[in-house]
Amino acid sequence: MTAYIVKRIIASVLTLLLIMCITFLLMNAVPGSPFLTEKSTPEMIARANAKYGLDQPLLVQLFNYIKNYLKGDLGTSLKMQEGTSVGTIIFGQGKFWLSIKLGVVALVLAVLIGIPLGCIAAYNRGKWIDGLLRVITTVGVAVPTFVLATLLLVTFAVKLRWLPTLSGSLPSFKSYIMPVISLSFYFLCYVAKLTRTSMLDAINQDYIRTARAKGVKTRKLIVKHALRNSLIPVITYLGPVMAGIITGSFVVESTFSIPGLGKYFIQSILNRDYPVIMATTVVLAALVIFMNLVVDIAYKIVDPRITLTGKED
Amino acid sequence: MNGRFSKFSPFHVDPEKIEKTFSLTAEDFVPANDEEKAAMEEKHKSVSYWRDAWRRFRSNTVSMVALVIFIICLLFAFLGPALIPYSYDDQYRTSQKMGPFEYSKGEELIKSIADSCDGFYATALRAGSITALNKGNYFIKDKGKIYAFTLDGALEKSVIVLRRDDKDPLIIVKEDDIKNGSWSKYEAISYTDTAAEDAMKLELSTGVFPHVFGTDSAGRDLMARTMYGTRVSIIIGVMAAIIVLIIGATYGAISGLSGGKVDFVMMRIVELIYSIPEVLVVLLLQVVLKDPLTEWFSSSSSGFVKAMSSLGSGIISIFITFALLYWVTMARIVRGQVLQLKQQEYVTAATALGASNGRIIRRHLLPNCVGSVVITTCLQIPSAIFLESFLSFLGLGVSAPMASLGSLCSDALETIQLYPYRLIFPGIVLTIVILTLNLIGDGLRDSLDPRLKK
Repeated sequence: MTAYIVKRIIASVLTLLLIMCITFLLMNAVPGSPFLTEKSTPEMIARANAKYGLDQPLLVQLFNYIKNYLKGDLGTSLKMQEGTSVGTIIFGQGKFWLSIKLGVVALVLAVLIGIPLGCIAAYNRGKWIDGLLRVITTVGVAVPTFVLATLLLVTFAVKLRWLPTLSGSLPSFKSYIMPVISLSFYFLCYVAKLTRTSMLDAINQDYIRTARAKGVKTRKLIVKHALRNSLIPVITYLGPVMAGIITGSFVVESTFSIPGLGKYFIQSILNRDYPVIMATTVVLAALVIFMNLVVDIAYKIVDPRITLTGKED
Repeated sequence: MNGRFSKFSPFHVDPEKIEKTFSLTAEDFVPANDEEKAAMEEKHKSVSYWRDAWRRFRSNTVSMVALVIFIICLLFAFLGPALIPYSYDDQYRTSQKMGPFEYSKGEELIKSIADSCDGFYATALRAGSITALNKGNYFIKDKGKIYAFTLDGALEKSVIVLRRDDKDPLIIVKEDDIKNGSWSKYEAISYTDTAAEDAMKLELSTGVFPHVFGTDSAGRDLMARTMYGTRVSIIIGVMAAIIVLIIGATYGAISGLSGGKVDFVMMRIVELIYSIPEVLVVLLLQVVLKDPLTEWFSSSSSGFVKAMSSLGSGIISIFITFALLYWVTMARIVRGQVLQLKQQEYVTAATALGASNGRIIRRHLLPNCVGSVVITTCLQIPSAIFLESFLSFLGLGVSAPMASLGSLCSDALETIQLYPYRLIFPGIVLTIVILTLNLIGDGLRDSLDPRLKK
């Protein structure tokens, strides 16, 4: 087990390094310079390049990035409020935590509502409630986040005026409702579908029949016996969910005007603010990779049938 | 008592019948001729894999309905633009910001003209850009009659109207007159009942085509834009799926067939790519590739590059991203299948019988893989459409005036409070396309791989 975890951690760090290299290469593949404006002369650009170390060979620059990141120094911004440290830009004013809060709430909602819905559908297989849930979840995984977010915005904020149009930095419960629903709806539906399928699988297993024959009550049967086994595919899905929620947060943050990390990522790309691009990519990628790591380890703990030697299948 | 063995019971045996059955003559020992031999053979028509799958798919009501709706979407996207008189990039000054089925002032007047006349001609049936005719001979055919006329000078911004009375049937209404709110000021032009030589034919229209989905702020017809957007989105989805199919299937097959160290290394690479958060890389690529691609488009003159450039740099980078990152799922699935199939007894038997590697791949591995490959490819299409619409929504996908469903939604966002229908129409079409493709994919899974059916 320990060997497996160590192996996975090493692989995760390698992936993160790879992403840093890819990002660095992509950033430098863009022709032009971040200091190129209409007014700038070649001398000014050269001076600015020298100041920020952009005149050094690419490999040296990449090495410097990695060295500084290991020290916890994310560099300084080239564009946004020139000279501010990237750490302040990302973590200052609660931007990072705003995104995290939104993402975690959406994730928790998707799991806490999706799994019971899947159980209900599986248990009532073939009845009207199963049919209804099936229609909702099937449509739910086909509606893009931005369509749902905008429709919610128009209906509840503009027409009915029940909820605020600008969620800002999520000051109240009301401001959470729409961003969280639009962010988590897709995953909620997907988790419900996934739970239903694996639950149906589990219900038809021999050990369930045995338990039923022994007189275990239905509710206990579902919660204690069937659910445990049917959770495995749901747990594996949580890794992609994390990546998807980060993607979705770009859309949701721009639709509901939330000053989160997603907005800065896109802005920094458009600005060609190298250190900010690098830092946001690394932070977001680290989140996803960390989630994948947790999921992989949890997966092996939950399902003892899987060998712990690290070989798949 | 004896009822159980009565004459009608299946256990009753007629002694005469037994004698008949067992009495043999010499004729019974004549060897069977070819005809008789042929009659002995099983006459079941062999059902091919695809026919069998189609039979199963047809019996799946949900998937069939989805297929029909998807075909309607395809017609909407690929035939629709030919049927409506508007184009995705024509801007009409006088009909901006109109709701569904609304008419601008000029259009209303033309409509009233159309209602009181047999027909009228205009290149585009709108008041803003009515018609421009060079000088020359023209004829209009209507109800068996030919109205020919000569234009002494070029004609600009007018509508030629064909009236019901035979006296002065051809009149011209000028744009200025339409704008003034009356169309009665007209000048008759000379006409005959025979076609003039070398005449250009004019087509008659009988009505103003409505803006079914309304128009946007630049006066572009939203239905035409939605049709083009659907077309672009579907093309992107299919192209991306094909790219994923080619790269993923080849990679997975090589990895699965080689096995051993090659397989190990190839799968570690797949795992590494799999754990990269794709969207971050997509976004980076979008921005990075924009300038070089635009440069490439303008510098090269080959037909292929021209075709690519009409799609825009955003879409090309989407394809590149798919080629770089999204094939891993396909590769994993194909590898898994190949590994599993390789150990099947019939493959061992084929090897033992001396079949070559090529024959084993062609006859045994490919036909058995094809089901899951088709399913994965089909489900890749909606995910590509999802990604494209997401990028276009963030303003990184297709570039104006080209439209995709995502960019239409994104355009609508600015004026969402006043004109919500601008988002609703493309949003609904987008949802329907993704939904039907998902359902078709599910149906394919059930029919191509019945073992998986739950």
